[in-house]
Amino acid sequence: MTFSNRYNREISASDARALLSVRDDSISTSNGLNRRRFLQMIGLGLGGGALLGNVMPSFLPHDWREAFGAGPLGPTDGVLVIVGMYGGNDGLNTVVPYADPKYQAYRSNIAIPQDQLHIIDANIGLHPNLSFVKSMYDQQQVAIVRGLGYPNPDYSHFNSMAYWMSGRPNGVASSGWIGRWMDGMGSRADLYTVATIGSSVPLHLVGQSTKGTAIPADGFNFGGSLETTEERMYAGIRGYSSASAGRGPWHDALAGATRGTIDLAQKLAPVFTPPITTDDLAKSLTVAARLINADVGLRVLDASLDPFDTHDGEPSAHGVKMQQLDDGIRAFFATLDPKFAGRVTLMTFSEFGRTPWSNASSGTDHGGPAPHFVIGANVQGGLYGQQPSLTKAGADLARWDRDSFTTDFRTMYATMIEGLLGGGSSTVLGGTFATIPLFRATPVDPGPTTTTVPGPTTIVPVTTPGTTPGTTPGGSAPGFGDPGGTDLVSIVPTRLLDTRSGMGMAMGMGMGMGAPIGAASSISLTIAGANGIPADAVAAVLNVTAVGATSASYLTVWPTGVDRPGTSSLNVRGGDVVPNLVIAKLGMGGSVDIYNNAGTVHCVVDIVGFFQTEAASRFTSLAPSRILDTRSGLGAPGGPVGQNSTIDVTVAGIAGVGSDADTVVLNVTVTQPTGEGYVTVWPNGAPMPTASNLNFVPGQTVPNLVIAKLGNGKVSIYNSSGATHLIADVLGSFRAGSGSRLTSLSPARLLDTRTDGGSSNPVSQTPIALSVVGRGGVPAVGVTAVVLNVTATDGTRDGYVTVYPTGQDAPTASNLNTSAGQTRANLVIAKVGSDGAVAMYNSAGAIHLLADVVGYFTG
Amino acid sequence: MLDQAQITYLLRRTEYVARSARVTALMAMPTLAAAIDDILAVPVPPALPTQIDHTDTTDQWSQYVFTQQWWFDLMAFDSPRPIQEKMTFFWHGHFTSEWWKINDTLSMTTQNQLYRVNALGNFATLAQAMALQPAMLRYLDNADNTKSSPNQNFARELMELFLLGVGNYSEDDVVAAARAWTGHTISGSTGTYAHLFKSANHDTGSKTFLGQTGNWDGPDIITIILNTKSQIVARFIVGELWSYFATPVGPQPLALDVIAAAFVMSGWDIKGAVKAILLLPEFYLPATMQGLVRTPVDWIVAVMALTGYRGAKVNPQWYTDGMGQTPFVPPNVSGWHPNGAWINTSSMGARADFAGDIVNQLRNDAAYNWDTLIVNATVANAVGSVATLFALGSLSATTLAGMTSYLVAERGASDRNDWWQATNLLQMALLAPEMHLA
Repeated sequence: MTFSNRYNREISASDARALLSVRDDSISTSNGLNRRRFLQMIGLGLGGGALLGNVMPSFLPHDWREAFGAGPLGPTDGVLVIVGMYGGNDGLNTVVPYADPKYQAYRSNIAIPQDQLHIIDANIGLHPNLSFVKSMYDQQQVAIVRGLGYPNPDYSHFNSMAYWMSGRPNGVASSGWIGRWMDGMGSRADLYTVATIGSSVPLHLVGQSTKGTAIPADGFNFGGSLETTEERMYAGIRGYSSASAGRGPWHDALAGATRGTIDLAQKLAPVFTPPITTDDLAKSLTVAARLINADVGLRVLDASLDPFDTHDGEPSAHGVKMQQLDDGIRAFFATLDPKFAGRVTLMTFSEFGRTPWSNASSGTDHGGPAPHFVIGANVQGGLYGQQPSLTKAGADLARWDRDSFTTDFRTMYATMIEGLLGGGSSTVLGGTFATIPLFRATPVDPGPTTTTVPGPTTIVPVTTPGTTPGTTPGGSAPGFGDPGGTDLVSIVPTRLLDTRSGMGMAMGMGMGMGAPIGAASSISLTIAGANGIPADAVAAVLNVTAVGATSASYLTVWPTGVDRPGTSSLNVRGGDVVPNLVIAKLGMGGSVDIYNNAGTVHCVVDIVGFFQTEAASRFTSLAPSRILDTRSGLGAPGGPVGQNSTIDVTVAGIAGVGSDADTVVLNVTVTQPTGEGYVTVWPNGAPMPTASNLNFVPGQTVPNLVIAKLGNGKVSIYNSSGATHLIADVLGSFRAGSGSRLTSLSPARLLDTRTDGGSSNPVSQTPIALSVVGRGGVPAVGVTAVVLNVTATDGTRDGYVTVYPTGQDAPTASNLNTSAGQTRANLVIAKVGSDGAVAMYNSAGAIHLLADVVGYFTG
Repeated sequence: MLDQAQITYLLRRTEYVARSARVTALMAMPTLAAAIDDILAVPVPPALPTQIDHTDTTDQWSQYVFTQQWWFDLMAFDSPRPIQEKMTFFWHGHFTSEWWKINDTLSMTTQNQLYRVNALGNFATLAQAMALQPAMLRYLDNADNTKSSPNQNFARELMELFLLGVGNYSEDDVVAAARAWTGHTISGSTGTYAHLFKSANHDTGSKTFLGQTGNWDGPDIITIILNTKSQIVARFIVGELWSYFATPVGPQPLALDVIAAAFVMSGWDIKGAVKAILLLPEFYLPATMQGLVRTPVDWIVAVMALTGYRGAKVNPQWYTDGMGQTPFVPPNVSGWHPNGAWINTSSMGARADFAGDIVNQLRNDAAYNWDTLIVNATVANAVGSVATLFALGSLSATTLAGMTSYLVAERGASDRNDWWQATNLLQMALLAPEMHLA
């Protein structure tokens, strides 16, 4: 080899932790260092060994995570494969702007002739050795994201690599972006969640409380034996980590790592058969593909190729690397089981590109931005991002000038998190970044997506996760009025629409065959006068469920015939199943329209009740009160509700609910579920309907508003799978004759703390008062309760939101459980305080809240 | 009377393992300072072995293997004062070069010998000498650094990683230093590389470096750094030495600032700085004593020293890649990272593979009387025997329980085998945390 080896593939966890744990003041007091010195040391600490002390008392807890959690991927889990090209890959000779005369001018001794390139278009060609990548590009499965970089670029391998790995340019590289994503998985992360193929775990896989696993490319010798005596020895060695030895954290970490080696080897032994005969990246990525095929739950795999630091002799040296890259990618996709292809995406990165000018040694020096590849059957192939300019203010670049980045690399990370991995990118990245619309679809099981979609040629700005900013307050449309209010008729839940099968869809909209709702598209659903719903129904209580969204999006349900309001009824991340209760005023033809903002999504609608001008039941709103908590034994026997089990909960006659109530409004929450399933609530004594009120995945806490008819004064609650705790808060009841009457509205946004008042004012632990009367179509007087759809987004912590009458203390009840970085919505029926407002309380951290009013109760 | 536990610990940290003869010798010393002086009493090293045939340009692999084994043997057996090898390795990880980029046995072993001769010598002498050796000139590309086409690689790393750290110099300083180093290149080819100053390629213009203006040559750059940034350099090196011998975690002792000042005042005497560190009370705190993990090389050397197996027998070069640390092959210009870098399932698996091969060798060689030591001994005595064989000290409750439960299970199994008792128990000892800790 004739080029430098100055790449850094191992930035150790201990260094990272040391950096994390040392605060400026602790340095300045203990070592006489100022902040500037601290920042110097970061470079050294990452590059030159652990200079910095570690003051964190309990470091290394995650070096010995248990291995027993291995399990198959969830049905919509995406898998990310990261290929690090260490040393600084020369992007200009990888994705070559051959038609730019400056390319030839600056690089006369290393420019690749046009006739050798794999031509992409009139300006761009791929390196001659990237023939497999080109073939996938031709199948529109390769996104080339150009100009990736970050502000104030650093030309040190170590600093720039630390910035890329941490996802925090010009910040303290204390943890990695994938590591923090894994942190967010909590107890669901285990040794089989994130792995690197190699012998050390790079910083990007090191979180603040979790760390990826290293799997050697040659497999494990030790630990995989099936001899009985060896198994007895393994049992003895596993015993080394049966408890803390009391000899300090490193002793325990060493014991735990040895135990983990045994556990991994036993589990993964089949992956290394038959032996792999290739080398370098092809070998690593063959192992990676086999690990995915083994379906042990791996979500992120990491492999590396180096060194790319081509200070001299670049044409031959870089050519070797490009060949190894191409061979690796070819081996990966050749090995990957097609059944996973639709949800496995490969991406490359490198700490920087190289100088536009070549040097006299036929090499290039440390540079700025570079393009990277995102490859997979779920990727919409094409060119993304702007090609960095090879001139500056119209003039040639000078010898040491670098080109400028056009695409922040964190948008690529946000894209991978939002579009593939799930979880909140703003939490992981410490800020909200746009995503790049390079995914065709969110992960699906099974099967590759083979449809081809022409790729865009420029980057498209994408909305940040969450709802779009809404209309100005008070913009509700009147009309279809029932000024006297309406009465509820609740029924056993009945399914009205299922776009997966085509049920309920109109001719031409997919009737009989099913089709998802497209991006920025809406469908109509007739409610009144069909399915046993009387023609004079004026509003409906619907449980709307979004299924299989291909990207983060939201749904809006509003009366047919009026302009679509800037509100949202439910929010969905890619791949999620999200239900929400919706009280929808019916528009022309007794119909509602359902709008989907982005990607495609299937929609299921169950009706649980409707309102008529003169009918049975009127509403009594109550201060929220908990009537069921299986964690404590309140309202039902203590202990989780098992799989395929039903509990009966008495509601009538307790917690302020009249004994003659026929319908109740409950906020039902599942927590600590062990399986993936759904909950159905229906009248006791009636046949269980085929409708779900809540959908959940293991470990998730999910609430939903439920309006349920009572049977024998009770509701029955069914859990489909796994075991889960159930909590119910009663918010109100309906009974014949007396009580409030509902007036439903076309939705109007009353609150958006992201933009109200022209600035961002997230809600902390001080409750805010939201005036509701006299706004959004709600009358100024006579209102007893409002129906709001409350959305929480961009939270910094996990917690909950409670909505309650002003002038009272916050009750022990939650309307909405929030998760850091995620967007959640729930319908809320809130009694109005004497000042015409409702109070909103956020239990932890800071969060943005949005509230859309959809109706109110009077009388 | 010295504390035997302290002396044992001191020897593990400075000589890889506490050889019993060395424990006895040091326990006879009147003071801890005298014991440390003895540890630091390194000889003038012998010349490189004649078996290293740097003129063989066709078979670099054999030279590589020989050199690997030669150095492991020096560390484990052949150095009368092994701290000389510990410090040689320290400088190797600091002023790095990499075998396969250089691909020249002579360059790499010459650099290695420079680090050995100056291991505990004068830091300024060492820094100046390493810069002008062919291994460094080629590793960081200064051989290509010419007036007409400057290459900043060495000039940048000299400041960023070797002496100063980011933030103590500007990009202008990098440009000036690179200009000063122009013309320092190499002559010859494989087997004959030497430093060559080509004045025609040297930039003789005036350069302003760290505020000093003059027609600086490359060595002037190092002199200016050491003169104008002395405390920063000294504290950097002393901090690295603390991490290397004591622990890379936890707050560093305040006294390191004082030791750094003394390092400067002494005219860069490395031995004095190391001695001061080994005398610090903080060096003997429990958190320090429990705070260092044996690197893969340290662990292999310990296994070799404790079993008596030399490099040619155990072939450490087969295992080092998997463990993550190969002598002469640092991962990058910043060298190796401590502690947590070695604790993962992959590198621990490689240690287990090496341990398994070692115990099979011991069994085949009938190295010990297994019947007496293990097979016919009580469980407690058998466990105690292997703990002694590998100098594990007093076993933790968890290690003791793990070994005991294994032996009880093996002896009670229907398919029991006496050989297995020995090999498995020995392998368990080599994989115990007590063995992995320095």
